[in-house]
Amino acid sequence: MPITMPPAPNKDDLAATWNFLQVGVEKIMTNLKDGVDMATYMGIYTAVHNFCTSQKAVASGGGIIGGNAHRGAHLLGEDLYKNLKDYLKGHLEDLHEKSKGHIDEALLTYYIREWDRYTTAAKYTNHLFRYLNRHWVKREIDEGKKDVFDVYTLHLVQWREVLFEKVNKNVMAAVLKMVEKQRNGETIEQSQIKSIVDSFVSLGLDETDSTKSTLDVYRFHFEKPFIDATTKYYENESNQFVAENSVIDYMKKAETRLEEEKNRVGLYLHQDIMNPLMKACLGVLVTGHSPLLRDEFQVLLDTDRQDDLARMYRLLARIIDGLEPLRTKFEAHVRKSGLAAVEKVATEGDNMEPKTYVDALLEVHTQYQKLVDDAFTGESEFVRSLDNACKEFVNRNKVCKTGSSRSPELLAKYTDALLKKSAKSAEEADLEASLIQIMTVFKYIEDKDVFQKFYSRMLAKRLVHSSSASEDAETSMIGKLKEACGYEYTNKLQRMFQDIQISTDLNSAFKEYQSRLLDDDGLKKAVDPSYQVLGTGFWPLSPPQTNFIPPQEIVDTYTRFQNFYFDKHSGRKLTWLWQLCKGEMKANYVKNTKIPFTFCVSTYQMAILLLFNDSDTVTYEDAQKGTALSAEWLDPSLSVFVKAKVLIPSPENAKAEPGTSYTLNYNFKHKKVKVNLNIVVKSDAKQEVEETHKTIEEDRKLLMQSAIVRIMKSRKHMKHVVLVQETISQIKSRFTPKVQDIKKSIDQLIEKEYLERLENEELGYLA
Amino acid sequence: MAEMQKIKLMSSDSAEITVHRDVAERSVLIKNMMEDIGEQAMTEAIPIPNVNEAVLNKVIEWCVHHKGDPPATNDDDADSRKKTTDIEEWDQKFMQVDQEMLFEIILAANYLDIKALLDVGCKTVANMIKGKSPEEIRKTFNIQNDFTPEEEDQIRRENEWAEDR
Repeated sequence: MPITMPPAPNKDDLAATWNFLQVGVEKIMTNLKDGVDMATYMGIYTAVHNFCTSQKAVASGGGIIGGNAHRGAHLLGEDLYKNLKDYLKGHLEDLHEKSKGHIDEALLTYYIREWDRYTTAAKYTNHLFRYLNRHWVKREIDEGKKDVFDVYTLHLVQWREVLFEKVNKNVMAAVLKMVEKQRNGETIEQSQIKSIVDSFVSLGLDETDSTKSTLDVYRFHFEKPFIDATTKYYENESNQFVAENSVIDYMKKAETRLEEEKNRVGLYLHQDIMNPLMKACLGVLVTGHSPLLRDEFQVLLDTDRQDDLARMYRLLARIIDGLEPLRTKFEAHVRKSGLAAVEKVATEGDNMEPKTYVDALLEVHTQYQKLVDDAFTGESEFVRSLDNACKEFVNRNKVCKTGSSRSPELLAKYTDALLKKSAKSAEEADLEASLIQIMTVFKYIEDKDVFQKFYSRMLAKRLVHSSSASEDAETSMIGKLKEACGYEYTNKLQRMFQDIQISTDLNSAFKEYQSRLLDDDGLKKAVDPSYQVLGTGFWPLSPPQTNFIPPQEIVDTYTRFQNFYFDKHSGRKLTWLWQLCKGEMKANYVKNTKIPFTFCVSTYQMAILLLFNDSDTVTYEDAQKGTALSAEWLDPSLSVFVKAKVLIPSPENAKAEPGTSYTLNYNFKHKKVKVNLNIVVKSDAKQEVEETHKTIEEDRKLLMQSAIVRIMKSRKHMKHVVLVQETISQIKSRFTPKVQDIKKSIDQLIEKEYLERLENEELGYLA
Repeated sequence: MAEMQKIKLMSSDSAEITVHRDVAERSVLIKNMMEDIGEQAMTEAIPIPNVNEAVLNKVIEWCVHHKGDPPATNDDDADSRKKTTDIEEWDQKFMQVDQEMLFEIILAANYLDIKALLDVGCKTVANMIKGKSPEEIRKTFNIQNDFTPEEEDQIRRENEWAEDR
């Protein structure tokens, strides 16, 4: 129903103008839903305009002379502004009075309804009073008046001062009651809270600049009580919950609650509350119960509850310093598991397969690596804890009781077993996977030099005996070692490969040479040889430890090769490593067999057997004289023949010793045509291990000395203590040197006059 | 489309003028009102109680010409707008009207809240004052000198610094 407006007022008459305007403003404020017709709209605007432009301005402005000169024309409007302000005040006081009849949700409904009505009207009125805004208000603000605002802002300021200050506590209490209901599982009218938030935010006006807004009002009147209530609510809830439930259930609860609160922000709160709200919730739900959570960590580890561990990680990761205590516990736990795993396999004693040991190490590592990746999201500090723990149990465990060199030795042996040709050779892909696993353990090995030593010895054997399972795998392994330890570490290993390659070419060249040298008959008689020329410095091989007279058949062949080789490379020296040589012999003498047996034998064994070409019976003394072998090489070889029944000793079951004689067994039988008699005796292998360890000690001394000399050469002089520290840091990557040994090395260098003692504990370098 | 919408304006002397909505909305007053009232303003003529038909037509002529102008930003009034009295050629021709019409246009622009037109009007007046002596200005605008000789002297002294010498 349109309200009839009074007639347009005289533009000079304030009372009449305001009377006219008030009817319109009142209508807009209280009854906008019925609409405002254009005539009213234009009427109000025009009345404001006419009043502000009335000639009275000039009359009451007092001319332009004197103090007012700098201000220019006087602008009318103050009276309208004041009247409007008073009107709003009255309206809001009225609203406050009416609000007293409402509490809780009804109060919210009332507040929101009035707020919406008021702000809509404010927008309208602001348009209608635009002329006032453009001129009088603008001038006042330009001149620095702090308490004059554009008409819309005036509405908000009045709301805040007259109504909001009186009702905000009650409104907030109602809001918090609703939120608590929702936290307790009830359904609430969320949009109401959102409206309240929007209203509180709108009231944040920057006192110094009305075009800007701040969140101050919202923060003080909404955020703060909201956070306080939240904290209190969760304090109560969590304390009660942990008293009645398991820690695992509590973590689930806490995680759900945190997620809920986060979502609550998106649903109806202001984004600004996210950080303080999360901080408050984490403080209560996580920090407040963190000792309890941490106590549960060990239990979860022991029972391997991955999901719960992951949950604990997620919760504690969100608070400051939440994870550090877990890492310490985790490290200790992994170390303990590793040691226990080793303890279990260590019961097998010296007969333990290297694979068993390495698998035991790997199993622990794999298990906890997976835990770190899955539950702890691969977080770098947990990775570090895992590494520390692995380093500990790999180098110091029951198997390593005698010294940390056992681990690299076993690892190298396992690698050898993998890379060696065998009945159960792994598939290429599986092999590569195993090599990667080996590198995992290798990473933790402290005595990398021990591994190197064993590895190179075993590699040498694989190469000399052509017993590598796969050349690709060998190359891949060396590549991995090089990547882990650098060029120097694998240099010799690579040279060994090169020698083998060169030898292959050499052999084909020699075959050509031989066929040119010999006639057909000579070729038929000649042994079919294959040679490997190995650089002395690169191969971990030593010359034979026994005298030996090689059989004439071989002498002919190798002399030819030597001639050929010296032709090619004059000035080189060839040392024959008889102990590594081998050959095949055909046993044409054996009766009752169509195809003659082939014996695979060492060169030493070959020499012994060839003696039987001249006589069916050979005494121990004959053998000794004919081969010049020392007893420790001769005796085992004879034993092998006896055991295989190639030779028959007399007297029966006699040991290999002077006085025993041997006859060929013409009735030799074997299920295979090819018989391998080149069997390494066990004690031999053990001796080799000891020897290897001994050479490691030697090498370490050299390594320390060369490191010391290197350092001193660049520094010229240095304090003793500093030198020791520097040396340790330089060779740490190979092994962990003892300070005692370094001091010993320094003393030796002083003796050798590389270094000299100066004053003040200083050492000097002597060029 | 908004561009095709036409609305009617009614001048103070009850003449109805039909214009495109976007032309009329050069006036912030009309623009705000359209926003607030909506429906009714589409069908009925909008009363413009302070502007007569002749002036309203003139104002609309200006609005049609300038309907494609980018909307003026609020902050540029501080410097660029005030500093220059340059007026583009079309506007100069547009403002070649008798003095009474010129002032009517300025008043209408102020009332209707068409800032750019108000600026052009004021600049035109400023150009009429520029470079003239007080006597010439009085003559141009037909102003009676109501200062006493003493008052005039005082003003002259106070504003000596601004004199062109």
